[in-house]
Amino acid sequence: MTRWAMIADLRRCVGCQTCTAACKHANATSPAVQWRKVLDMEAGIFPEVERAFVPVGCMHCADPPCMHVCPSTATRQRADGIVTIDYDICIGCAYCAVACPYQARYKVDAPRFAYGRASRMAHEAVREQPRRVGVAQKCTFCTDRIDPGLDRGLTPGINPEATPACVNSCIADALHFGDLDDAESNVSALLRDNKHFRMHEELETESGFYYLWEAGPNGTRRIPAYAPSGEPLRPVVGGPQPWLQRHWDWRAAANFICGGTGGGLLAVATAGLVGFGTPLAPFALTAAAFVAAGLFFVWLETGRPLRAPFQVFRHPQTSWMTRESMVAVMLLPTALAAAWLGWRDLAGPLAILALAFLYCQGRMLTEAKAIPAWREPMTATLIVSTALAEGAGVYLIAATLLVPEDVPAPAALAVLILMVLARAGAWAAYRWQLTSAPTLALDVLGRFAPWLILGGTALPAALALAALFLNGMPVVALLAALTAVLGGWALKFVLITRAAYNQGFAVEHMPERGTGVGGGPGVKPGWA
Amino acid sequence: MTQERSSPARHVPTYCYQCVAGPDLLTVKVEDGVATEVEPNFAAADVHPAAGRICVKAYGLVQKTYNPDRIVTPLRRTNPRKGRDENPRFIPISWDEALDAIAARLKETRDRGLHDSSGYPRLAASFGGGGTPTAYMGTFPALLSAWGPVDFGFGSGQGVKCYHSEHLYGEFWHRAFTVCPDTPLTDYVISFGGNVEASGGVCGVKRYADARERGIRRVQVEPHLSITGACSAEWVPIKPKTDPAFLYAMLHVLLHEHARDDLDLEFIKHRTSAPYLVGRFGFYIRDAETRKPLIWDARTDSAVPFDTPGAEPVLEAPFLVDGGIEIGADGHVWRHKAERCQSAFEILVAHVRNTTPLWASRICDVPAKTIRRIANEFLHHARVGATIDIEGLTLPHRPVAIVLGKSVNNGWGGFDCCWARTVLACLVGALEVPGGILGTTVRLNRPATSRQASVRAGPDGFMAYPMNPTDKERWVARPEVRNANRTLIPLVANSPWSQALGPTHLAWMMQDDPPENWPEPTTPDVWFVYRTNPLISFWDTDKIGRTIARFPFTVCFAYTRDETNHFADIVLPECTDLESLQLIRIGGTKYFEQYWEHQGFALRQPAVEPAAEARDFTWIATELARRSGLLREYNEALAKGAAGVPLKTEEYDFALDPDTAHSVEDTWDAICRAASAELTAGAESQGLDYYREHGYRVAPFPRLDWYLFPELAAQGLRFELPYQERLHRVGKELANRLHERGISWWDAQLEEYDPLPEWKDYPGLWERALAENFQVDIAEFPFWLLTARSMQYAWGGNADIQMIKEVADNVVGHGGVIINAGKAAELGIAEGDWVEVRSPLNATRGRAVLRQGIRPDTLLMIGQFDHWATPMAKSFQVPSMNRLTPMLLDLTDATGSGADLVKVALRRAKRPS
Repeated sequence: MTRWAMIADLRRCVGCQTCTAACKHANATSPAVQWRKVLDMEAGIFPEVERAFVPVGCMHCADPPCMHVCPSTATRQRADGIVTIDYDICIGCAYCAVACPYQARYKVDAPRFAYGRASRMAHEAVREQPRRVGVAQKCTFCTDRIDPGLDRGLTPGINPEATPACVNSCIADALHFGDLDDAESNVSALLRDNKHFRMHEELETESGFYYLWEAGPNGTRRIPAYAPSGEPLRPVVGGPQPWLQRHWDWRAAANFICGGTGGGLLAVATAGLVGFGTPLAPFALTAAAFVAAGLFFVWLETGRPLRAPFQVFRHPQTSWMTRESMVAVMLLPTALAAAWLGWRDLAGPLAILALAFLYCQGRMLTEAKAIPAWREPMTATLIVSTALAEGAGVYLIAATLLVPEDVPAPAALAVLILMVLARAGAWAAYRWQLTSAPTLALDVLGRFAPWLILGGTALPAALALAALFLNGMPVVALLAALTAVLGGWALKFVLITRAAYNQGFAVEHMPERGTGVGGGPGVKPGWA
Repeated sequence: MTQERSSPARHVPTYCYQCVAGPDLLTVKVEDGVATEVEPNFAAADVHPAAGRICVKAYGLVQKTYNPDRIVTPLRRTNPRKGRDENPRFIPISWDEALDAIAARLKETRDRGLHDSSGYPRLAASFGGGGTPTAYMGTFPALLSAWGPVDFGFGSGQGVKCYHSEHLYGEFWHRAFTVCPDTPLTDYVISFGGNVEASGGVCGVKRYADARERGIRRVQVEPHLSITGACSAEWVPIKPKTDPAFLYAMLHVLLHEHARDDLDLEFIKHRTSAPYLVGRFGFYIRDAETRKPLIWDARTDSAVPFDTPGAEPVLEAPFLVDGGIEIGADGHVWRHKAERCQSAFEILVAHVRNTTPLWASRICDVPAKTIRRIANEFLHHARVGATIDIEGLTLPHRPVAIVLGKSVNNGWGGFDCCWARTVLACLVGALEVPGGILGTTVRLNRPATSRQASVRAGPDGFMAYPMNPTDKERWVARPEVRNANRTLIPLVANSPWSQALGPTHLAWMMQDDPPENWPEPTTPDVWFVYRTNPLISFWDTDKIGRTIARFPFTVCFAYTRDETNHFADIVLPECTDLESLQLIRIGGTKYFEQYWEHQGFALRQPAVEPAAEARDFTWIATELARRSGLLREYNEALAKGAAGVPLKTEEYDFALDPDTAHSVEDTWDAICRAASAELTAGAESQGLDYYREHGYRVAPFPRLDWYLFPELAAQGLRFELPYQERLHRVGKELANRLHERGISWWDAQLEEYDPLPEWKDYPGLWERALAENFQVDIAEFPFWLLTARSMQYAWGGNADIQMIKEVADNVVGHGGVIINAGKAAELGIAEGDWVEVRSPLNATRGRAVLRQGIRPDTLLMIGQFDHWATPMAKSFQVPSMNRLTPMLLDLTDATGSGADLVKVALRRAKRPS
């Protein structure tokens, strides 16, 4: 077997960006798209400071989160470990981009030129890449060099014609490429002889990109080492901080908001049907409208909307987006059928579909490994619980407005109180679980917490209690429901568009730079 | 993953000489007649020290070729008024019109005489730093040679933004226009502000990476943590401009805290001037008859001429010499009877007696124990006594080196640093030997192609040096060019490079403010500008703009509009890097890390068709020669080698008919044939077709020629260190000459001609100069503002290339002003905030970039931006220190150099509109 892997020797890298530029040339990437780039990181406090240059890009993980989440199977993995993207079936949903903890994926929604569309240059015209528009793109390990090279009997990593462009270009010989499964290969030897790490090892992606930081016992250092001196570096600051992901914006948030509310409404309505014999039709129609609206909004966000409805169902094995879509296409006709035909027997399947839909939404977030604020297991519980709270709120509103006679208000108010309290509990559990995340994400969540607890929990609960005791005050009940719903929507809006700072970058060790005090402790900029 | 092509791609070999750290070899991938990729030249992997690779700058050449902002037709100015705020109102014109206009102007100028009323050349030309434009200007040098006297003194940073003291003193002491460690063999490097990982080119980066892997220890001494600091084992954040004190303390440690036997006494006694005896007037004690300096011979226990066969020099003893003489300035002789004297070595020892690490620590803001440890590490790693076999010759192996960066190496204090660094190398025998420091090229001595051949016996057992004369008869009293290089700077010599190394800011300064008893300033009648942009890259750029506006006829070769050609009368679009033809020398030993085990030639050839009306520089030069009536002289200059290779020697003759305007291809075919013949001692004569196919041709270059020591040893010569008797005399003579003409404004500079440099309070010197010249309270300017080179931009003239900007922004600091994060917090400045940086001269604004790797009293602005005319770059909003740095005589040292250093105030500011 073959397992292609890349090695960046941090001792050698000078951050010159020659590899960045060579990659842009070899792959004709658009402006601001850098499949390969080199980070400039700093650790310590003046005057004890170290600075390191860290090449990053697609790590071609053995267990790639991007592939698991991909709904279209556009992202696949070859037998040799290279993670690929089929531009012809990718729908541009960017789920992979929020799942990749190395921020390696790009999506360009319209052709982009260095000096503007009106000034498209000759080489840009010759090498325009229309297939890449609106879809995910990333480092390919230069398969277009490796594969023909292998066909010609060349060895990737050794013969330049078969080697990734970034490796070829590296003026410091810091980048290496080769077959990890070959014990005699260049990369195997380097890993044997040197201390190394992989980025974000704790995420268990089994990255195919290794960083050398210090000579091992078999290393090549000839000059005797110095005894370490000075204080160890305090792990601090400089370098690229985690940034707010922009792949999923308000349109994606709208899917979670509308879909969650719709799903929650269905769940509550079916429970109401079973428990109190309330009618299903108005609620089912309202819920279907919510779900459909959510799907519409997220469809607007896909880079390839015409392709999306056909390709999104291809990956039920692991993609929660595919599963969500599948559930949605079962849920919508079932809800309509239930509303149209009034079949009470559909209540059970509908409830199951609704809960499944909500669970899929929750799991979509937990599988987005790039976003620490999403990926904790409790996120799913939070998403489901807030959906139920929103559902209970909309149920109460719809009942009050549409079928006031058929729904016992006290029961609906009690359910609302229960649901907002459950959501608050889920929120508390979520925050308790989320111990480690980018500082900026924690700040956002911390600032939002009082709003959710007071405005989204205490207020609707108090109003609902008041409405319970002041029977005959539907306005108070409606206010209770409204605040419960708005609290949930705000929660999801904040979670998707404001707290979604990505993983950022980290190194486990600062590199040894010749004979010095040795490699310092690592840094994880932007994390507390 | 690219699209299908209609025809197979071609890979065209060529070279990149964007920066002085080149040239390097590359290939250009051409698809359907369009250049699409730059790639390494893998075929050169065994020849080129960086295995045929090129740095990031070369990857900008594709966008440079197709840049939509390119000027692609000659332009003529229609607005006679010139100024930053004046629209030049350029209109496109034909090549005939452009060339005829220039030729007419040249003829008219020539008719009025080659020199103007002040004796200055009427023709001036400014090219970018490091001579790199020569690798792109085809045969234009032959046109300038055909013309005659040209003023190259209007610089664009040369002399103040280079390694100026090293250029001059380095050439003087060890044929070292640039100084570089023997990186493949060195174990320990102390780098004072050197930034090899950013400006040392691909060879530097590759060699140091190899060295790090084998365990080299490099200590980076500088106020901010540069790219090179990042790649070093240790960072010592020294206070700006105090490096000499650190180096003097190292000298103290070696000379006062170690046994003499720890030093390389063999080297000191036999390869330096240390044993020369010095008299009471500061000059060598000489034999009255032969006038040779005396040393004390242990064998005979007597003073003998330095070159007495078998003499065993004594370094330290109570010396008493009978009948010696001292020779001072202008031939003045003192005759001594019984004279107690000291050896140069003893004077050196006394000189650094008080420069202890404790003393230096207070000046440098570096702990004394750090300075002492580093000095001890230096000595320890020198491995005094070790030898190594190089190509069959056993040489000392001294794997220690001290390198100096920009700003350390120029302006006041630069001499001190160069001297102390080179003396430290001498003390451990690490000068021009394997592992030690090497001079890698000569530009002032001749021949330029061989350091070894430039070594000739001079006075007193040292190498000859082409010093500008200071004696009464031969002193160049009337400046030949506007920067007066030969008049004021004896060390700058008189090679084709000397003008650009003269005090290039003097040419600009004196335009407005001529000093006493000096020729009236005049503007050049015609000024050619190529690959340089002094409006951005020199200091006090607003003032330079006002000066250039007065130049009557400016011709700029340009590929886009920029700040300097904003003032042009005619703009000519030459074929750019991937469109034109030229053969240059590669390999051997060149700047910095460009020392190879091969030497030869590389061709730059058109990979693609020229853009619109752009023309090959050689065609332009030939046409200008023809239309100006200089064709014969031009062809004769070509035959003499003005384009890099003589066309006619005793071994071969490829000279072209002198009265014919030859095509670009015919011209370079002849040059290629001459190059082939030179490489093969006349045996072969392959022409242009060979080089087009292969890209380059080399022959082995002996590694022994990396080192000057064997040549000196073979000729029985010494390095002229530590004692500067010759310079001391030259300084006295220069003082006499200037004073005889009533010139006293150069007196401060004359004080630098000390036999051993004394520490002066250099930071205080800067502060006083700024305070006095601008009448400010310097306490209100508490920060030192520095700059640093950027590999992505340095020398590249590429600020308008989108891809370069995109990738450069991955390196922190390109977007603003780097400020110590702790200091910024004190001032309430956050990352990305707009700040105003104000010097006594001017103010600029930029975004705050907060880092821990910079001293709290220091600010850093990388590169030289501040564009206002260059397309794209003018929207960067990135500040440059050039606008803030004044040109002051008070801050000009004896070599005519200044430093990129100014004191500034910092405050939060509004975003500029």
